[in-house]
Amino acid sequence: MAFYDGLFKTFGLSDWCGSGESSAPMSMADLLAKNSGEEASGPLFPFPSLDNLNESCSNIIQSRDVTKGIEEGFLAAKPVLKSVLDPITQPLSWLLDGALWTFSVVPWFIMVPILLAISWYASKSKPVTVFVAISIFFIGLVDHYDVAMQTLSIIFVCTGISVLLGVPIGISMSKSDRLQKSVVPVLDLLQTLPTFVYLIPLIFLFSVTESKLYGIAIILYAIVPVIRLTDLGIRLVDKDVIEAANAFGMNSRQKLVGVELPLALPNIMAGVNQTIMMSLAMVVIASLVSAPGLGVNVLRGIRNLELGVGIVAGIGIVLLAVILDRVSKAALQRVDMTHMKH
Amino acid sequence: MTNEPKVRLRGLFKIFGRNDQEALAHVRKGVGKEELLANHGHVLGLQNIDVDMQAGQTTVVMGLSGSGKSTLIRHLNRLIEPTAGEILIDGVDVMKLSQTDLRQLRQKKMSMVFQKFALLPHRSVLQNAAMALEVQGVALKEREEEARKWLNRVGLHGYENHYPAQLSGGMQQRVGIARALTSNSDIMLMDEAFSALDPLIRTDMQDLLLELQDELHKTIIFITHDLDEALKLADHLVILKDGAVIQQGEPQHILMNPNDPYIEDFVSDINRARVLRVRSVMSPLIDSTYNGDVDEDSNLENIISLSGGDTNQIYRVMKDGEPIGQLDVKDLVRALVPRTRSDAS
Repeated sequence: MAFYDGLFKTFGLSDWCGSGESSAPMSMADLLAKNSGEEASGPLFPFPSLDNLNESCSNIIQSRDVTKGIEEGFLAAKPVLKSVLDPITQPLSWLLDGALWTFSVVPWFIMVPILLAISWYASKSKPVTVFVAISIFFIGLVDHYDVAMQTLSIIFVCTGISVLLGVPIGISMSKSDRLQKSVVPVLDLLQTLPTFVYLIPLIFLFSVTESKLYGIAIILYAIVPVIRLTDLGIRLVDKDVIEAANAFGMNSRQKLVGVELPLALPNIMAGVNQTIMMSLAMVVIASLVSAPGLGVNVLRGIRNLELGVGIVAGIGIVLLAVILDRVSKAALQRVDMTHMKH
Repeated sequence: MTNEPKVRLRGLFKIFGRNDQEALAHVRKGVGKEELLANHGHVLGLQNIDVDMQAGQTTVVMGLSGSGKSTLIRHLNRLIEPTAGEILIDGVDVMKLSQTDLRQLRQKKMSMVFQKFALLPHRSVLQNAAMALEVQGVALKEREEEARKWLNRVGLHGYENHYPAQLSGGMQQRVGIARALTSNSDIMLMDEAFSALDPLIRTDMQDLLLELQDELHKTIIFITHDLDEALKLADHLVILKDGAVIQQGEPQHILMNPNDPYIEDFVSDINRARVLRVRSVMSPLIDSTYNGDVDEDSNLENIISLSGGDTNQIYRVMKDGEPIGQLDVKDLVRALVPRTRSDAS
């Protein structure tokens, strides 16, 4: 007899529980114990878990019913969710496919100068631009140019969307303490949820052949720092300067555009830098759900134990990361410099 | 003095706290600042302020830190909302203005200079000075021309394209003053504008302000904790303590007739010879022979050096070329000794 039989008897719940004999299917552990011919002897005082209680009272659900319930609930909600989310997120697919297509049709001798021009324009630093050139050359040399460009195009699109969505969210959070209190837990969740877990519900919702599947996963993961740092940056703007803006009769739009955003810009740029780094981290994991790029080669390295393939792709990712980090950091520093010229 | 004051504060109260109206009732019944904080958890910022500020004059509000002077100046443009009372500017109650009208008032009628300068660090000196006009929507060329004019006037010619962080504190505050002047408002609020500057630069800035005021005749409301500065700049001096006005009037008059031990303490520390003017110690014209003529506005230090320390001399006091009284150097020496509490009785 199960341990908790006595408990239900004391509370007079035996009737409600039924015969006391569990009608639920046997757990694997029970089955094994039965097969080996021994009576299952649990611990002396088992934790009152659902499974243990179920042994005494069949009306109490088993743990596997919980996971099953979540799954069924999600599947029940799926048609509604899908009918809402599918059209909204469709442009993301187009953007990603378009970017991938653009990066693949533009020949390297045009694309590389464009990338170098962007890094020069953003960083205004010779060493950084030279470093970018060398890195791209190296990636191309080992025939990883195409995959690297795929990764880069995904990062461009996802970072761009993260900034477009994240900055306005950050601004509204900085204006309302209540909104901040309700958004911060969501951001915490997004940041701590294991990256693989993002993928599971998305696979159910969207077809794996659609690019928005990994696009959404990357954006959800990477948008957090730009939101946080926009909020922080605007809250940190010198109160005296805000008071001066009020005293000279600025309206809230003039204050936002003329004072708050420019003064928060270094912080926002730091957020963008983090967002770029995090989307690069996620784009590798997203190769599990058909995101093209260097991540696919890493995955191949793991699956087939092709050490060399995996490591070369890994080094390619590191190079991309360093390029993106240096260029965005140099841009950040330049913004900071124009603020505080001494 | 008979004409309508530019700015008029009537029965102004400010109480900081959640339940300020209830606390106001206690204050009106005579509960003091400490008691209010201890028993009701509310901070008394200002109590029953009645001040008239005349157009074209400099009104200095003086008090130690915590006396409510910065709170007071922020009521004039409603950066802080009062708990009770009226704020009339040109006869219009500021409390009744809509948000849009209030912004108009802040843009056109008032400008403000801050203790910590509060310039925009990402904008050049020129852009900072032009800020007020930019807010009003004046075209770029016009506003930069105006800003340039005032930057030249405060002695910053050639610094237009620098950034605030590249300038010294004194120069940054000159930008602050140019910014306030560029807005072309009648009223200038100066919140401890010179307190963050070192003494020599502070004197320079005070001279600059006096010089500008001679020319522009703005209505200036100046906050300070420094009595010397207050006496130098004020046409009308308001002394605050614990959020209440304890004496206000012509500075020379306050100096000669302090009505509160608190003010006596203040007054006893200053260099009276430099601050007191001939007109405050002169007597009616009776003698007919004089050792010379002096102007009513010269300070006593000048007279002492003129007399060479001889207390038997008598001077004729002149105003705009007309004799208006006489000054006995003996009276002058007596006036140099501050009236103490025992004398006052």
